[in-house]
Amino acid sequence: MDRSDDVLVETRNLTRALGDGAAQQTILHDISLSFDRGQFVALTGASGSGKSTLLYLLGALDRQSGGEVWIEGVEMGALDDDDRAAFRNERLGFVFQFHFLLPEFSALENVIIPMMRRGNWSRSEAEDRGYEALRMLDLHELYFRKPGQLSGGQQQRVSIARAVANEPSLILADEPTGNLDSKNAEGVFQVFANLASEGRCTVVMVTHDADFARRANRQVRLKDGRVIEDSTQHGPTSVGRA
Amino acid sequence: MTPLATIKTISFIALRQLWERKLLNGIAVGGVTLGVLVLIAMNGIMLGFSDKFTSAILKISPHVILFDTELRPVSPLLERYMQTPVAAQIAHESPTDRQVRIKRPYEIVNALRQVPEVEAAAPSLAGMVLLEFGGKTKSVDLRGIEVAAQDLVTPIHQYVKSGRLRDLDTSHDSIALGAGIAQDLGLKVGDSVRAAAPGGKPLDLLVVAIFEAEVPPIDKTRGYTTLRTAQTLLGRPDAIGRIEIRLWDPADAIRVNDSLERMFGYDGESWKETNANFLAIFAMQDMIVGFVVGAILLVGGFGILAIQIMIVLQKQRDIAILRSVGLRRSDILRIFLMQGVIISLVGGLLGDGLGKVAIYYLGQLPVKAEGLVKTDTFLVKEDPAFYVYGIGFALLVGVIASLIPAYRGSRVEPVEVLRGQIG
Repeated sequence: MDRSDDVLVETRNLTRALGDGAAQQTILHDISLSFDRGQFVALTGASGSGKSTLLYLLGALDRQSGGEVWIEGVEMGALDDDDRAAFRNERLGFVFQFHFLLPEFSALENVIIPMMRRGNWSRSEAEDRGYEALRMLDLHELYFRKPGQLSGGQQQRVSIARAVANEPSLILADEPTGNLDSKNAEGVFQVFANLASEGRCTVVMVTHDADFARRANRQVRLKDGRVIEDSTQHGPTSVGRA
Repeated sequence: MTPLATIKTISFIALRQLWERKLLNGIAVGGVTLGVLVLIAMNGIMLGFSDKFTSAILKISPHVILFDTELRPVSPLLERYMQTPVAAQIAHESPTDRQVRIKRPYEIVNALRQVPEVEAAAPSLAGMVLLEFGGKTKSVDLRGIEVAAQDLVTPIHQYVKSGRLRDLDTSHDSIALGAGIAQDLGLKVGDSVRAAAPGGKPLDLLVVAIFEAEVPPIDKTRGYTTLRTAQTLLGRPDAIGRIEIRLWDPADAIRVNDSLERMFGYDGESWKETNANFLAIFAMQDMIVGFVVGAILLVGGFGILAIQIMIVLQKQRDIAILRSVGLRRSDILRIFLMQGVIISLVGGLLGDGLGKVAIYYLGQLPVKAEGLVKTDTFLVKEDPAFYVYGIGFALLVGVIASLIPAYRGSRVEPVEVLRGQIG
């Protein structure tokens, strides 16, 4: 199985099971997919179809039961806990449904904590980058506010700023528009679409929204832990090999 | 990832989270503060009492005394001859009139003065005499001394209230008395008092000095004459019954006493043995204080434990966020440990400060006491070590108490939290 240079993420026979023995429940069956650099992928499927689990496996948050996950030439299953944390810190960005922000910290501080941990930039450099990320999401004027003083849409944009400020190669979003009104949801969708189309990173987004799923480069539909549909809507794609 | 970046990130998060929960963490700090405060105050009181007592003992008592009892075991003649243990005991040995005394005492005194730990040594003779004045009698623990030498061992002249101690040497047949005796008999410097002891020759003694060491047991019983006067009065011409010794460091007393006993073959006693009863009480009090302070610090530790466990449980989501953006388990562990250390450090410093204030005000409390020691105020004494112990124990408790919450926090699995949230 050869991988071309523009393949960023590849899963091979990825399996995830929970529990032991008779109670064992397989959530993902032999998933083999690959995503290119700059691709905007929508993961869809009913609740319990395994799409979130797939997302966590792609994000080195969960451990597979079988198969492999390769991201930029690194196999996630081979990394220990600390290396996975470092990998998440340097290469991945997460956006969750419930705009997970730390309540004690301002918008800007939330954005720069991953950069502080990485240590590649000084505090002021990190703040400049964080401020730029907030500006891109049109939040720079509210950088000093704490999450409690921001609306849901604003909080979600702060968490996107946090995900992108560290310049990750892969952004993983778990129903990022799930709790937003249609105007805010559209804004968030546009940010991801732009990030992907500029080739800055690959975006994998779990969504229930059929419209957004259609408008992404590619839609992967899961059911009962298997890929039942993998369609490319427009733009250059690479087809997943089963 | 440089270690510096790690430390900066961790302390940034730890400090902010502490600050944003001022009430809860303030309560945890309060528990530690209370523990340290009690530690300092209780130790101050205990040290105040034991220190006052010890200094009272050492004021006018020698550190080591050599008595006239020889230690060399005298085995029965029969046993020495047969070279095996022999049961040879006389049912009731009739006591001899031969009086015991230290042999060649001045050679021993001179030798003692060469011992490096010994500051001063003086020969003396002790015995009970009855004093009679104005129809009242009182028994006195009389010491015949060489005035200048004895004053180097037990600085009596410092406590003379009227008269002069030196006059013992210049006026023939004279006595220096404790203030308690003088008061009981109605004596003043210049009065003449009749003194007598069994087996000796009664004498009229001129009171030349009255001293008050503020140690009631001594002030009410002690009298000093010259050695010669005492020998006459007690009927023991030329006898030396004891050699009193002052050490450079009174803490050495037990060890030095043992080696002096071996060196000279006479039974010796250190001040610690003489006052073993009281010192045992102090040792027991120290233990009780240790238990009380330990218990309070333990409660403070449980305060930190309870509050931090609660915070860890509430903060599962935040821990999951931090882990997902790339903080390691060890970072989470260190964030909570750092919070425990900061809580206990702040609590310890506050406790130290309040402890100092408490020691000051306790020392002002008026308390009248005249028993073993005489005092007008509550006895407290501070020792810089208290403050070091205060901070030290606080830190120890803080670190141990935050270990469990910190460990729990570090074991949070971000996936489980995220799944739970999203369903």
